Amino acid sequence: MKKNLYFEDVEIGDDIGPIKRSVTDEDVIEFVSVREKEITPSRFTSNEVANREGMPEAIVPGPMNIALMSQILTDWSDTVCLLKIDVVFRQTVPHNIDLTFSGIVTDKDETGDSTKLECDVVMENSDGVKLVIGTGVIALPNKP
Amino acid sequence: MTTDEGIVYDRSLLGVETQIGTFELTREMILGFAKSTGETNPRYLGDDNGAGDIVAPPTICNVFVSGVSRPDINLEFGEIGFFAGQSIECKAEIRPGDVLSASTKLDNVYVKTGRSGKMVFAVWETQFRNQDDVTVALVTESFVRRNKNR
Repeated sequence: MKKNLYFEDVEIGDDIGPIKRSVTDEDVIEFVSVREKEITPSRFTSNEVANREGMPEAIVPGPMNIALMSQILTDWSDTVCLLKIDVVFRQTVPHNIDLTFSGIVTDKDETGDSTKLECDVVMENSDGVKLVIGTGVIALPNKP
Repeated sequence: MTTDEGIVYDRSLLGVETQIGTFELTREMILGFAKSTGETNPRYLGDDNGAGDIVAPPTICNVFVSGVSRPDINLEFGEIGFFAGQSIECKAEIRPGDVLSASTKLDNVYVKTGRSGKMVFAVWETQFRNQDDVTVALVTESFVRRNKNR
């Protein structure tokens, strides 16, 4: 069971995650269908279209990657409030491969003015290649 | 150091807001987004039957940003372009039934020179407001153009 984290519990250097998962073809289709009722084959849903655009296979959409990256923070504790996430796409992310998401706390507001924390987050493939990197700003509540 | 000196593009577009659409966020859309991204938090999924009070996962606005048609800035540089990065500021909760209106503007154009040579970045900022005119999310996207390596 996930522990409810409070601002006072966290220190700079604390690890977040890791979470391991993969994104299936079905996950991508469900994600794309949030916006498109009838899905047009694209680089995200069709290997053929992806090949024509110079990619070896269909890829995970950028907005889905950013949603997955934000989850490493929101899954850390139900008390996390995500304020901002900033990502850099270093490589395309194929479907159906093992992905590891992890993070680390890099800064903590010690002024007493807020309960904000800054974190680095990363998505890596099974060879340890960083596919997406980013930073997040979250807030945690004070201990009751 | 970054500068936009010497970049040729349509500067009249800088800071000009363009409406890109209105989107009604249904409960079904929120659940679809949450399930497809492997969410397990009942805050986004409801109870075991998908019932109960839910809010949208914080980056949901992003699905409406991709594929948006923006004004052409007529940038006269680079042979190839790619999506460099994105940030989302989550300003307020988004709930089923919210109607979000989105507007986008060209926020900045600048040059950086790296190992692969000169790169020109165009930064677009898209703001989502709900039916009460509350800003719920701010999405910033960077697109890069550069020449092919030779």
